[in-house]
Amino acid sequence: MTWQGLELVAWGIPWTLAVTAGAFLLGAALGVPLCAMHVSRSRVLHGLAVALIVALRSIPPIVWLFLLYFGVGSGYLKVGAVQAAVVALGLITAANMAEIYRGALRSIHPGQWDAAQALGLPVRSELVDVIVPQVFRVTLPSAATYIIGLLKDSAIASTIGVAEITYLANFLSRKQFNESLTIFAFAGMLYILISLPLAALARLADGRLRARVAQ
Amino acid sequence: MVRQAGAETIVKVSGLGKFFGAHKVLDGVDFGMGVGEVLAIIGPSGSGKSTLLRCLNQLEPHSEGVIDICGSRIAADAPLSRRDLNELRRRAGMVFQSFNLFPHMSVLRNVSLPQERVLGRKRAEADERSRALLDRVGLGAKADQYPARCSGGQQQRIAIARALALDPKIMLFDEPTSALDPEIGLEVLAVMQELAEGGMTMIVVTHEMHFAETVSDRVLLMAEGKILEEGPSVEVMRNPKTPRAQRFLQAVMNR
Amino acid sequence: MSDLLSFWATQLPALLRGMRISLQVTGMALAIGIPLGLIAALAVQSPSRLIRLPALAVVEVGRGAPALILLQFAYFGLPSAGIQLSAMMAAIAALSWTTCAYTSEIIRAGLQAVARGQQEAATALGFSRLDELRFVIVPQGMRVAAPALLGFAILMLQATSLCFTIALPELLSQAYQIGTITFRYMDTLMLAALLYAAICIPATVLVAAIERRLDRHTA
Repeated sequence: MTWQGLELVAWGIPWTLAVTAGAFLLGAALGVPLCAMHVSRSRVLHGLAVALIVALRSIPPIVWLFLLYFGVGSGYLKVGAVQAAVVALGLITAANMAEIYRGALRSIHPGQWDAAQALGLPVRSELVDVIVPQVFRVTLPSAATYIIGLLKDSAIASTIGVAEITYLANFLSRKQFNESLTIFAFAGMLYILISLPLAALARLADGRLRARVAQ
Repeated sequence: MVRQAGAETIVKVSGLGKFFGAHKVLDGVDFGMGVGEVLAIIGPSGSGKSTLLRCLNQLEPHSEGVIDICGSRIAADAPLSRRDLNELRRRAGMVFQSFNLFPHMSVLRNVSLPQERVLGRKRAEADERSRALLDRVGLGAKADQYPARCSGGQQQRIAIARALALDPKIMLFDEPTSALDPEIGLEVLAVMQELAEGGMTMIVVTHEMHFAETVSDRVLLMAEGKILEEGPSVEVMRNPKTPRAQRFLQAVMNR
Repeated sequence: MSDLLSFWATQLPALLRGMRISLQVTGMALAIGIPLGLIAALAVQSPSRLIRLPALAVVEVGRGAPALILLQFAYFGLPSAGIQLSAMMAAIAALSWTTCAYTSEIIRAGLQAVARGQQEAATALGFSRLDELRFVIVPQGMRVAAPALLGFAILMLQATSLCFTIALPELLSQAYQIGTITFRYMDTLMLAALLYAAICIPATVLVAAIERRLDRHTA
C-alpha cells in the first residue's frame, strides 16, 4: 500500500467535516422552532411537531437522503449531492436537537421562570438572559455527543457521490482491490481520530461552563 | 437465662486495624468470643462497628492484625484464597441493614438458591429446608411472593432465613433494624431473640440498647475505631467506666 | 392518486421481500451482537489488562467507525485478506459488531445500576464470582438495560438500510432497483419510507410503554 493511496482517502476529510457541520448548523437552527412548536399551547402546532419528529426519527437517514436526492431531485427540483446530504441530515438533526432542547428546558427548575417573572423581567430578557444560557449549558454535552454521531452518519453521503472519506475509500478500493482491507481500516481510523478532539473539546467546554456557573 | 459462654472459642481478633485511604477506621481491636455467645457491638456512628463486622467475613479485607474465625486464620498480609473465603462466608451468615434480598427472585428462590449453589443441595431438598425456615420466621405464606411485596420487617426476616439456610456457625447482624420503623423492628428483634435462645452464636451491631442489654451476653462499646469498654451487658450498659462511654450511653438512653 | 396506489400495490410484494431480509439481518445482528455485548461489558471491567484492552478496542472501534465503513470493510475489505463473505454474511458480521459495541455500553450501565448491596449479599452468602454474575448481577442489570436495548434494536433495523451499499436486496435496495427501472424514485422511496415507519413507530411507542411499566415497578 502506498501512502499516496491513503492520502487520497484523507482528502475526503474536508467534505466529511463540511457535511457534518452544515447538517448540524441547519439542524440546531431548525430545532429551535420545532421545539417551540412542541412545547406550544396550540394543539395543532404541538401535534405537527410530534408528527415531524416521529417521522424524521423513524425513517432511516439514507432513505431521507434518497427521497431528497433521487425523489425530489428527479423532476421536481434540481438538488446537488452536497445540498441533499446537508438538508437530509440537517432535518433529522433538527428533530433530535428539538428533543435535546426540550429535555434541557424541562431540566430548568420551574423556580427560574418564577424568579424571572417575579423580578418583572420583560419576556425577551427572561428568555435571553435567564433561560437560554441555562439551556445552552445543559444542551452542550448532548449536542457534542450528537455531533460525533452525525460525523459517522455523514458517511451515507458517499452513496450519492459526495467525495468525502467513505466515498474516496470506496473509489480507491475499487482501483486497488488487493488493498481494500487496509483502505477501509484507514477510513475507519480517520473517523475515530476526528471524533477524539471533538469529544475532548466537548468535555473541556462542559467543564468551563460548569466552572463559570458554579462561581 | 444462663448460657455456658466461652466454652470453645469461635472468634478471636488480635491487633485488628483497617485503613480507608489514609484514614484509620479500626485501630488495635482485640476481642474473642465463644460458641453460643451473643455479642452486641454498640457505639456512635462512624466508630467503626460495621467495618469491624465486615472485616470478620472479609467483605472488607483488614489492613493489620489477625482474625481467627470458624477455624480460618486470616492475617492481613496473608488473605484467603477465593475458595477459602467462600467457605468462611458459608460458615458466617450475614444480615444487612438494607436486607439485600434478590428482587428478581421469589422469596423461596432467595432462600433456596444459595443452598443449591453454595452447598450443592438438590432443589427439592433446598426448598424443603427453605419452607421450614420461612415457617420458623413466621413467613411460610410468603414463599411464592416477590420481596417487593413484603414489608421491610418481613424482608429482613426472610434475609435471616436465607442466611440460616446455609447452616452457619455464627451469624453477623449489621444494624438489622436501623432501616425499619421501631414498631416493625420489634418483629425482627423477636426472631433474633429466639435465635439467641436457640443457642446460635451471634454478633450484632446495633443501636437497639434494650436488645443489647437484655439479649446479648456481652457488649463491646466502640468509639473512634477502638474498643472503649467490653464486658457483660448489664455491667457495660449500667456502669460505664470511661467518660466517653458514659456520654454516649447517656445520650442514647435518654432518647 | 389512484395511479399512485395501484403503483404501490404492484411494487409492494418486492418491497416486502426486501423488508423480510432487513428484519432477518436485524434479528441475526441482535441475536449475535447482544450476547457479545454482554461479554464485552464484563470484559471491559476485568482487572486483567489482557482481557480488558482487546475488549476496549473492539468496543471503541465498533462505536467510533461508521457502520457503513464496517459493512464495506466486511464485504469489500475482507476478500483482500482471503475471506469472502456473501452480502448477507457481511451484513450480519458488520452489524453484529456495531451491536456488540453499542450494547456493551448499554449493558455496562445496566450492570453498574445494580445496587451495591446485591453484590455484597451474594459475596456474603459465599457465591462464586461466576454465580454472583449469573444469578444476581446479570439478570438485574439486563432488566435495567432492556428498554435501551429495545430502543437500539429499532435503530438497528434502520441501520440495515446501509446494506444497500453492499448489494444486499433489503428494503431500500429493492426500492432503489424499482426506481431505476420505472424512474418513479419518489413513489417507490415513499413506500419504502412508509414501511420503515410502519415498523419503527409502533415499536417506539411500545418501548416507551415498556419503559413506563418498568419505571413503575422499580419505583
